[in-house]
Amino acid sequence: MAQIAAQPASSVAVAPRVRLRQWLTAHPFLAYAARRVGLYLLTLWGAFTVTFFFFRLIPGDPIEAFITSLQQNYVYNVSAGNAVVDHYKQVFGLQGNLFQQYVHYMYQVFVTHNLGPALLDFPEPSQVIIMRALPWTIGLLGFAGIISFVIGLLLGALVGWRRSAHSSEWLTNIALAFSHVPYYFVALMLIFLLAYRLDWFPASAAYDPSISPGLTPAFLITVVQHAALPAISIVVIGVCNWLISTRMLIVTTLGEDYLTFADAKGLNPRHVLTQYALRNCYLPQVTAFGISLGFIFNGNVLVEQLFNYPGIGNLFVQAIGILDYDTIQGIVALAIFGVLTANLVIDLILPMLDPRVKYWR
Amino acid sequence: MLRSVTKLWGASRKFQIGVTILFVLIVFALIHPWIADLVGHGQDPMAIGAYQAWEVPNTDHWLGTDRYGRDLFVMTATGLEASLEVAAVAGLLSTVIGVVVAFVAGYKGGTIDGFLNTTTDMFLVVPSFPLLLTLSAYVRSVSLFDVSLMLAVFSWPFAARTIRAHVLSLRSRPYVELARVTNLSDFEIIFQELMPNLLPYIGVGFASAALGAIFALVGLEVIGLGPASVIDLGLMINWAITWGVLSLGAWPLFVAPIVVLSLLFMAVNLINIGLEEVYNPRLRQTAGA
Repeated sequence: MAQIAAQPASSVAVAPRVRLRQWLTAHPFLAYAARRVGLYLLTLWGAFTVTFFFFRLIPGDPIEAFITSLQQNYVYNVSAGNAVVDHYKQVFGLQGNLFQQYVHYMYQVFVTHNLGPALLDFPEPSQVIIMRALPWTIGLLGFAGIISFVIGLLLGALVGWRRSAHSSEWLTNIALAFSHVPYYFVALMLIFLLAYRLDWFPASAAYDPSISPGLTPAFLITVVQHAALPAISIVVIGVCNWLISTRMLIVTTLGEDYLTFADAKGLNPRHVLTQYALRNCYLPQVTAFGISLGFIFNGNVLVEQLFNYPGIGNLFVQAIGILDYDTIQGIVALAIFGVLTANLVIDLILPMLDPRVKYWR
Repeated sequence: MLRSVTKLWGASRKFQIGVTILFVLIVFALIHPWIADLVGHGQDPMAIGAYQAWEVPNTDHWLGTDRYGRDLFVMTATGLEASLEVAAVAGLLSTVIGVVVAFVAGYKGGTIDGFLNTTTDMFLVVPSFPLLLTLSAYVRSVSLFDVSLMLAVFSWPFAARTIRAHVLSLRSRPYVELARVTNLSDFEIIFQELMPNLLPYIGVGFASAALGAIFALVGLEVIGLGPASVIDLGLMINWAITWGVLSLGAWPLFVAPIVVLSLLFMAVNLINIGLEEVYNPRLRQTAGA
């Protein structure tokens, strides 16, 4: 500001900028938020652009492929030719050079909020079929995520609190061993043992097709029954991971003076654990949890595939099978959007949750 | 060098267990030709129709046979070798990229750092597994090396991230300043002063990238999009699913690869934790059993 004050001649033109800067120094959080949102938009645009070009640069023309498949099935009259191809190129936004296609796609997504028609279900735009799959994924992964977070956090706190006990050591070692085992291994074992051997749970699909969908108790029961196995396979591994990280955090707080003081005051140990020790784990753990929720929009391709669950991951594999550009890109865009938005929300909320967090100076 | 390895060995039980399991698995994979000889008595135990189909585990075939009468014990060893190969190649490539990016970004700083850091962030955000799926769906016949390359392209940012942070903190240490004052070149400083201190982190980065590569490859194969010509553990799991083994009850076809892979994950994970405990003293009391 000293610089600007030294040049009084140009002060008229710069005045609004000065005022803005003064206002921003007066409201550090808003300045921080504005910068953070700006960065968010920039990264979002960058990631969208990278994926767009990534998919377009892969050789193979979806329209060509579709027409060939029609010809092979004797559906398509070859003489109808170019007019048809041109029409569909326009419908799918494949006309012009790469840059024109890019502008067309960005316009479509950001201005008309349309992801383009899906090959999977032709005249329907792909956001419609993505939206059809999304509730299943959010329901399954959201519930499984929350359950594993809560159980893992509590177990981790207990194990860290009583870390010298034999049972805690064993639990920690088991969790360490399992924390890197992929979900789908557990899923396969569960399908084999609980679905085929013991026949306790259904092995695939999201609900019993004989029961008509609706908010009836019968339908809800079959949904829960079908979600049980995939959810368990996610929860088992998730709990292990949360347990380990929470334990680490708890153990580092154990020697702190304020815990000794709380003990000396004669507080109930449980109260000390939940109100004093665990509170310090919330910040990093809530951050990690938020980010993991952002990843939900990725869908869990493998688990959904193994259980034939009608979620995003399954839709993605189907879309890849017939090279459905618009749907593939839509799902990837949604996934990126989810992760980035989760990060943004956390960065904006954290300073409010914990007064010690300050990103701005 | 040798002394630091022995010191490491003595310092952490987790490290010992992890290395032992990993060693056994690698040996098991490497001696697969001899295992094949022993089982097949000179003939190829993995030829189609070598034995009766769907034999249950017995003294001749410890894990039974598959749909085409191939010996599953031999197949597990052979598959493990292929999986380890992918892990090694992808892990190495991604570590090299990650280390180069991290050192350039962390050491040079300024605009280069800003640019490389933003690039790293973008790669971290882009969902790699879906992209990988798409890529392998388009490129129908991929070789094992292609897959490793693809996996490396998506897994370097994680290593780059952590190593850059360490480079940043090391850069302003007095001994690095001293090296700069004594007119050592950037290369000399990076290789003689910085690199030795970061070896454990580079090792951890390599291990995670290698694990991630196996994880992703098996994932691709479970869906049926892996390199089709090579038998590896993921392909065995894929067969187990597509042949309906789960309902047939021929459990070795999927239990064997899952157990072997889980052991591998466990071993590398334990080594990682052991390394971190030893080189990150703050963790020693916390993660140590």
